Amino acid sequence: MSPFSALRVAGLLARRGVAVNISVRAAHGHEISKQEDMSLPMYWDRKDTPLPDIPFQKALTADQQSLKQKELGSWKNLSEEEKIALYRLAFNQTFAEMKKPTQEWKTVVGGVLIFIGLTGLVVWWQRVFVLPPQPHTLKEDWLAAQAKRMIDMRVNPVEGFSSSWDYEKNQWKK
Amino acid sequence: MAHPSQLGFQDAASPVMEELLHFHDHTLMIVFLISTLVLYIIVAMVSTKLTNKYVLDSQEIEIVWTVLPAVILILIALPSLRILYLMDEINDPHLTIKAMGHQWYWSYEYTDYEDLGFDSYMIPTQDLSPGQFRLLETDHRMVVPMESPIRVLVSAEDVLHSWAVPALGIKMDAVPGRLNQTAFITSRPGVYYGQCSEICGANHSFMPIVVEAVPLEHFENWSSLMLEES
Repeated sequence: MSPFSALRVAGLLARRGVAVNISVRAAHGHEISKQEDMSLPMYWDRKDTPLPDIPFQKALTADQQSLKQKELGSWKNLSEEEKIALYRLAFNQTFAEMKKPTQEWKTVVGGVLIFIGLTGLVVWWQRVFVLPPQPHTLKEDWLAAQAKRMIDMRVNPVEGFSSSWDYEKNQWKK
Repeated sequence: MAHPSQLGFQDAASPVMEELLHFHDHTLMIVFLISTLVLYIIVAMVSTKLTNKYVLDSQEIEIVWTVLPAVILILIALPSLRILYLMDEINDPHLTIKAMGHQWYWSYEYTDYEDLGFDSYMIPTQDLSPGQFRLLETDHRMVVPMESPIRVLVSAEDVLHSWAVPALGIKMDAVPGRLNQTAFITSRPGVYYGQCSEICGANHSFMPIVVEAVPLEHFENWSSLMLEES
C-alpha cells in the first residue's frame, strides 16, 4: 500500500473516531452510536451531559413525521406508546440503560491476573536458568551469626534492631 | 547498619541526624495528609452519582487552595532552614581527619599530632569471617573518639567519590582538587557503616566506609598501634 493511501485511510479512521475500548464496551452490552463525521453536530448518550446537539433519529418515516406533528399539539392527547415512541426518536438509550452495570471489570481483572501469572512464570524461569547462586552470606547459619554480631555491637539500639533485644535476660523482648 | 528489608532511617548516632529524623517525621506527616486528602477527592470524583460536574469558577476556593499550600510550605521551610544553619555552626573540633577517595578504596590521614595514614579496602566476600557484613566491612576502620567534635576533610585522588555515613547524617562529595569540610559528634560509641555515594567506576559499590567511635583511651591505644604498624 502506498504511503499516500495509508495516510488517507488514517484520516478517514480518525474522523470516524475508532477506538479499541469501544469494541470492548460493545462486547459487554453497551451500545455504540454510529458516527459518520466528528466535524458535524453529534448525538451522544452521556449521564453528565444529558441533552445532545441533535435528535437520535433525523430521517423520519411518514408515520414518525405525523407523530411529530401530533407532538406540536397538547401532550394530553398523546398515548403512553406514542410518548415512548417520541422519546425513542429523540434519544437512543434511557438513563437506566446508560447506567446499567456491565461485567467489563471481570474481563479487565482477569486479563491483569493472566499477565501477572505469565510474568510469574518468566521470573521463575529466570531463577532456575539465568540467575547466579546467592552469596553464602545469605545462608541460615551466617544470618544467625550476623544477627548475634549486630546485637553484640548494639546496632540501632534506640528504636531499631537492638532495641528489641533484652540484654538482661539474653533473649528477644516479649 | 540497616537490618535486612529496613525501609526507614537507621538510629541517629549524632545530634544532627536526630534533628534530621524529626524533620523527616514532620514533613512526611504533612505529605501523608495531603496524599490522603487527594486520594479521597479522587475517589469521590470517580464514584459520584451527581451529573452536573462542570462548575467553571469560584473565587473562594481558589483563595483557599492558594493560601493553604503557601502556609504548608512555610511550615516545612522553617524547620528545614533551622537545621541547615545548625549544620553550619562554628564548631571547635578536637580532631581533624582527611578522607581521600581513590579508585576503589578510602584512605584516612590523621596528621594533627603524628603522621598517621592508612588505606581502607573492602573485605572481599570470600574472605569474611562468620557474621561479618557482606560489602560493608573494611580491613581498617576510621576510629574516632566518641562524644568529641570531629572535622573531616573530604577529597579525592582521581575521580569523584562521596563519603557517606547515614547513621551520622553525613554525605560529602569527594572532588579531586577540592577540600570539602564536614563535622560530626557521635552521641554514643559504636560502629557506623556507609558506602561510596558517587559513581566512580567498576567497583563503586565495593568501597565502603566504617567509622568506629570508641572512648578516648581506646582511640589513643589504637592510634599508637597504627603508628607502630606503619
